[in-house]
Amino acid sequence: MGPVSNSPTGTPEAGKYLSTKAKVSLNAYQAYGLSIHTDLICPELLPFPHSSHEPDVTITMLGEEATLLSSLPERSYEVRPGCFQLDVRRVARYRVEEGRRILIQAHASASPEKVRLFLLGSAMSALLYQRGLLPLHGSAVETRWGGMIFVGPQGSGKSTLAAEFHSHGYRLLSDDVCAVESTPNGLRILPALAQFRLCADAYQKLGASPEAYFDVDKFAVSMGKQYCPHPVPLKAVHILSYQSAEGPRFEVLRGLERVRRLFENLYRPQFLIGQRTQNDLVCLAGLIAQRTTLAAVSRRRDRTAAADLVKFLEVAWAECFGTSFNAGEEFDAHFRS
Amino acid sequence: MRTFAPEDRLTRTNELLSTELDHETVLMSINAGAYYGLAGVARCIWEKLENPTSFAELVDCLVREYCVSRDLCASDLQKFLAEIEQEGLLRVE
Repeated sequence: MGPVSNSPTGTPEAGKYLSTKAKVSLNAYQAYGLSIHTDLICPELLPFPHSSHEPDVTITMLGEEATLLSSLPERSYEVRPGCFQLDVRRVARYRVEEGRRILIQAHASASPEKVRLFLLGSAMSALLYQRGLLPLHGSAVETRWGGMIFVGPQGSGKSTLAAEFHSHGYRLLSDDVCAVESTPNGLRILPALAQFRLCADAYQKLGASPEAYFDVDKFAVSMGKQYCPHPVPLKAVHILSYQSAEGPRFEVLRGLERVRRLFENLYRPQFLIGQRTQNDLVCLAGLIAQRTTLAAVSRRRDRTAAADLVKFLEVAWAECFGTSFNAGEEFDAHFRS
Repeated sequence: MRTFAPEDRLTRTNELLSTELDHETVLMSINAGAYYGLAGVARCIWEKLENPTSFAELVDCLVREYCVSRDLCASDLQKFLAEIEQEGLLRVE
């Protein structure tokens, strides 16, 4: 083992560990358009062929002897420029560095599923913020008009609607969390995890599958072939809610409301402030509000079934964005290669 | 009502994030959950407040850029600045 550098900003223990464990066999995955190498086995992520290229992100499990985190006395997380730390009691400690590395020190009694739950949720969202990507709490569907995102408060039916689109033959980019990036060619939705996280009733609708497992209070089901593995241009963001009026409604939002609604639906917004990228990310939200359609979609809980909402949205989109099929084909041609 | 003296040095508070939307500047205080839209003259004033500026300098700038009497400009500016100060958007030295 080589000498450990004592850089004032680094973590000598973590650095030491990485250099000694580099030979452990690595699993290669992709998510959010990033290649990921890790010594963890992550069934939630799409396997990605190994290449000699440097991965975008490495995720490393540290041994118990490592001292990963500086202590977090009052809060369970800390955001500093380029460094995010999270301590989930009795599960694991996570350290996310420069949008490139995630280090994990798991509690001895924690199940691997729980360790991955906070890795792929909170720690990953901090990594996305560090990379200048905007994670929204919602699902995303590929349509002939482009990518459609569905956000809304917990229990507003995001995953159930995504599962319904899935059963109508649509391809999905994500359930639960999706990320938006700004490129010279416009805004794109990046595909996230290749699985649904559903509550029990929506899960039964999809039909049980052997690889499903119980994950905190939700079931995880693979999206299979209907997972869309490439980025898709962002067309619209929909904010789902229930209301008391009879029929479903599709209302295009205007003005300041759009930015407010986007920020209300960020995934783990408390991890944004203090990031080096915070100003870029606020401008990205402004860009999304300006360049895409933001719509409030509401329906009565007991009147509009998910299947009816899919049909309603197809009609609303055709009215809003036209019935031409060409746009979707063009997108496909651009982004499938 | 709060009044500003000509020599008061005025600048933005640091806690706000901002972005452009249509022809508005959107300010947000994510912790407080407050959002503000500034358009037209308000937006122009906000841009000038990026660096510390005295009340008198602000009036000078505005009467040069807009077709408005000095008195009316000063009294409108008093009202606007009092409003944004109350919202915690303005620092006065």
